[in-house]
Amino acid sequence: MTATKRITIKATRFDPDKDEKPRLQTYEIPFSDDSMVVLDALNYIKGHVDGSLSYRWSCRMGICGSCGMMVDGVPKLTCNAFLRDHWPRPITVEPLNNFPVIRDLVIDMDDFMHKLKAIKPWVIRKQPVPLGGGAFVQTTAQIDEFRQFSQCINCMLCYAACPVYGLNNEFLGPAAIALARRYNVDSRDEGLGQRLPVLADAEGVWECSFVGECSVVCPKGVDPAKAIQQTKLDTTMRFVLPFGNRD
Amino acid sequence: MDPTSYDVLIIGGGLAGIRAAIAVAETNPRLKIGMVSKVYPMRSHTVSAEGGAAAVLSKDDSYDTHAFDTIKGSDYLADQDVVEAFVREAPLEVVQMEHWGCPWSRNADGTVAVRPFGGMTTWRTVFAADKSGFHMLHTVFQTSLKYDQIHRHDEAFVTKLLVENSRCVGVTAIDVRSGQMYAITAKATILATGGLGRIYAFTTNGNICTGDGMALAYRAGVPLKDMEMVQFHPTGLPFTGILITEAVRGEGGYLLNNQGERFLKRYVPNKMELGPRDIISRAMTTEFEEGRGFEGPHGKYMHLDVRHLGEATIDRRLPFMRELGREFVGIDIVKDPIPVRPVMHYMMGGVDADISGATLMKGLYAAGECANVGLNGANRLGSNSLSECLVFGAAAGRAAAEQVGSLAAAGANPIEAMLKDETKRVEGGFLDKKGGDERIAEIREDMQHSMDEGAGVYRTKEGLTELTRRLDGFRERFERIKIDDSSRVFNTELTAAIELGFMLDCAVAVAHSALAREESRGAHARRDFPERNDEKYLKHTIAHHTEAGPRLEYRDVTLGKFEPKARAY
Amino acid sequence: MPRGWWTRRSNYFWYIVREFTSLPLALWLLWFLLEIRRAQDGPSGYHPHSSLGFVIFSVIVLLFALYHSVTFLSLAGAILHFNVADRPIPSQLIVLSQFAAWAAASVVVGFVLIYFAR
Repeated sequence: MTATKRITIKATRFDPDKDEKPRLQTYEIPFSDDSMVVLDALNYIKGHVDGSLSYRWSCRMGICGSCGMMVDGVPKLTCNAFLRDHWPRPITVEPLNNFPVIRDLVIDMDDFMHKLKAIKPWVIRKQPVPLGGGAFVQTTAQIDEFRQFSQCINCMLCYAACPVYGLNNEFLGPAAIALARRYNVDSRDEGLGQRLPVLADAEGVWECSFVGECSVVCPKGVDPAKAIQQTKLDTTMRFVLPFGNRD
Repeated sequence: MDPTSYDVLIIGGGLAGIRAAIAVAETNPRLKIGMVSKVYPMRSHTVSAEGGAAAVLSKDDSYDTHAFDTIKGSDYLADQDVVEAFVREAPLEVVQMEHWGCPWSRNADGTVAVRPFGGMTTWRTVFAADKSGFHMLHTVFQTSLKYDQIHRHDEAFVTKLLVENSRCVGVTAIDVRSGQMYAITAKATILATGGLGRIYAFTTNGNICTGDGMALAYRAGVPLKDMEMVQFHPTGLPFTGILITEAVRGEGGYLLNNQGERFLKRYVPNKMELGPRDIISRAMTTEFEEGRGFEGPHGKYMHLDVRHLGEATIDRRLPFMRELGREFVGIDIVKDPIPVRPVMHYMMGGVDADISGATLMKGLYAAGECANVGLNGANRLGSNSLSECLVFGAAAGRAAAEQVGSLAAAGANPIEAMLKDETKRVEGGFLDKKGGDERIAEIREDMQHSMDEGAGVYRTKEGLTELTRRLDGFRERFERIKIDDSSRVFNTELTAAIELGFMLDCAVAVAHSALAREESRGAHARRDFPERNDEKYLKHTIAHHTEAGPRLEYRDVTLGKFEPKARAY
Repeated sequence: MPRGWWTRRSNYFWYIVREFTSLPLALWLLWFLLEIRRAQDGPSGYHPHSSLGFVIFSVIVLLFALYHSVTFLSLAGAILHFNVADRPIPSQLIVLSQFAAWAAASVVVGFVLIYFAR
C-alpha cells in the first residue's frame, strides 16, 4: 500500500436557525480507493469528521434520484461522480441550483411534487377497463414512443440546469413535462385532453425557450427538451385543428 | 382535514405501502388515509429491484407449479396456505399494474412477456427491461397521486408505535424538515418499511434499509419471525454491492470461475445458472475457499459473462446492467465479463403477520419485506418479492379498511402523554445528550462487519456466539453515542442514530435466531449442522423482545399438499 | 440567479447569443421594410442604401439569421415524429429533409426575385 492520497472537498453549509447565508466549509479526507465517488466522500465526512453535514442519499446506484447536487457547478448525481476525475483539484459540492435550500446540501423540492400531480401522471381512461379483460396489447414499437420519458428518476438535475426555471419558478419545468408526455403518447392513455390545459398554460411548455441544458445533464438519457418541443406541437395542432386531435 | 388523524396510516412509501394505500382507497373511498415515509416515496428501495415480478400468466403454467417452486425454494419453511393464496392473486396484480401504466416488456404480438428466473421451473417473471422495481414504484406512486384522500407525510421519520390497551393507535414521528416531533393517530396502522440490509456491510440495500418497521413492531411487543433467514444474492458488484440482476442469468448469462469453468455443474447440475440464490451463493463461497475465484482489490469474485448474448439482446433486455457496468465499473458488458460476488440482499424474516398482514397486535398490519407473512420461508425465489409487495400490500390495505369501520378513534389524552414521553426520549437521549464519546458511524461499521463475518453465507456456533457477544458490546457503546449536530432542521445525524438503534435490535434478533436454529435450511447454512432437521425445525422461529435479549419460541409451519422432501436441483 | 449565470456554461452562452441575435435581426428587418416603402415609387427615384457599414451590418445579420435557421431546423428532428410501417423515421433524416426543403425554398425565392426583376 502506498501512502493514501488526500482530496479536498468544499461543501455548502447552511443552517437556517444559525446562518444568514450559505458558506463553504473545507474538508480534507483520505482518497483511499479509486472507485470512490463524491457521495463516498460526503459519507466519510459525515461518519468520521463532522456528523452535522446534511444531505440526501439512498441507493448509490443512480436510480433513486436522491443525491443530486452541484459538483463543481454542474448538476450531477453524486453517487456516480468519481473523485478520480477531479483529483488532485479540490471539489466544490453545493445544493442544486434554482431551489430553496433547507439545510446544507438539502433542497426543498415540494414545488416539483405539486407540479408532478398537476400534470396527472397516471393512465386516464374515458371508461374504466375491467381487470378481467386482461392486459392491454401494446407493441414494443408503441412502448418505444414513450420509453425514454418513463426513465425519469425525478432527481431534479434538469431543474437545476434550466435557466428558465431559475428565472421563473412558476415554469412547469423539464421533468414534469417529460412525464406528461410519457402518458400522452402511451397507447393505453386517453388523457391528452385533460393534460393539455396545464401544459399549454402560460407557465407551461411555451415558457421554454429551448436552452437544451436539461437534456444534457439528465443522467438517465431522458430528453425533456424534446418532450417540451413535441408538446408545443401538440398544443398548436389542437389549436389549429379543432377536429384533428385525439383525446 | 386534520393531518394528524387518519382511519388508516401507512408507514413506508415503497411498493407495498403505496399498493396498500390504494387498496384502502378503493375498498372504502370515504376513509382518510395517511402515508408516512422517511423519504419521498419514489426514493424507496423498491426502485432498485431489477429482474421482475413472478405470476402465472401463460397457459402452459399453473398455480400448482408456482406454488411448488416457491415452497421447494423456501426449503419447506413457507406456509403453504399463504403460498396458495399468493400464486392466485399475483396474476391479477400484474394485470392491475399494467392497467396503471407499468411498461412491462412485451412479446412480438404485444402481450406481456415473461422471462426465466432462478428456482422457477418455467418462464413466469414479468419484467420492465431490467428496471422492473423502478417502473413499478413510479407507476404506483404516480397512480396514487390521483387519490386525494391519500395524504402524504414525506420525509417524516417514525420513532415509535403508539399502543393503548394493547392496540396500535398510531405513531410518533419527527418532521425531518422542521425537527418537530408529532403524533399521528390512526384506527389501523400498516407497516411497510422494507428491509434491513444496512445491518450488513456488503449489501445491495440502500442507505434507508434500516429495519425501522421491524424494530418498531418488535419493541412494541410484536414478535419477529424467522429472522435468521437472510438472503445472499450471488451477483453483486465488488466494493459497491450494486445488484446485478438474476435476469442476467435468466437471459442466458454464465457464471465462470477463474478456470473459465461453469462451476455450477458441480452444485445444481439440472438448473445451472438458474438455481436458487442460496445454493448458488454457497457454491460461489465454496469455490472461493477452494481457490477458484478471481482475486481483486475488493476481494474475491467470479465472472458473470453475457458476451455471447449479443449487443441487441443486452440493449433490449438488460440496458441498465450495461449502464451500471459502464458508469460504476468502467466496463462494457457487451465486451467484458462482469465481476460479481455474493452480497446480502433480502430479509426473508420480518414482523410476524398472517395471510392478511394482521399482526398479533390489534390495529397493526405489516406487508412487504418488513413483514413475514410466511411466503418466503428459508429462501425467497427471485421475482417473488415484487409480487409479494403487490399481493400482500393490497391484502393488508383491504383488511385494514374493513376493520376500521368497527373501531373508534383513539382518545387524545393518552396520546398527548405518550408524545411527551417520546419527545423527551428522543431529545434527551440524542439531541441534548451530553458527554458521549462514541461516533455513530463507527459503531455502525463495526456492527456491519461483525454481521458479515458472523451471520454470512455460512454460519457456525462459535461465529454466532461471538456475534451475539459483540452485538451486546455495540449496544453498550450505543448508550454512549455522541451527536455533533444539535440543529433541529433536517438533522440526518439524529435520524441515523435512531436508525442505528433499530438496526442493533434487528441484528440481535438475527444473531440469536440463527444461533438457536441448529440445522441448515435454505439461506441458513450451519457448518456445524449441515443437514436439514424436519423433526425439530420444520418450524418458524418467533423472537419476542425482552430487555435481556430475544426470547425465542417455535411455531409449526402450515403444510399442505406438498410434503417436505430433500431439496435438489 | 447570479447576474453572470449565462457565462458559466457554453450551452447557456450560445443560448443567450441566439436570443440576443433577434435584436439586430429585428433592426435589419425594420430597415428592410423602410427600403421597400422607399422603392414604392418605382426604380427611377430609388437609391438603395449601400454604405460599407451597412453592408457589413447586413453580412453579420445574415450570419445571425443562418444561426437561427440552423438551430430551428435542427430542432425539427427532435419535435417531428413520423412512423413508417410502425418504425419511427430517424431524426437525422427529418433534419436533413428540413435543410433540403430550406435549400429548395431558397432556390425558388431566388429564382422568382431574379427572373421577375429582369
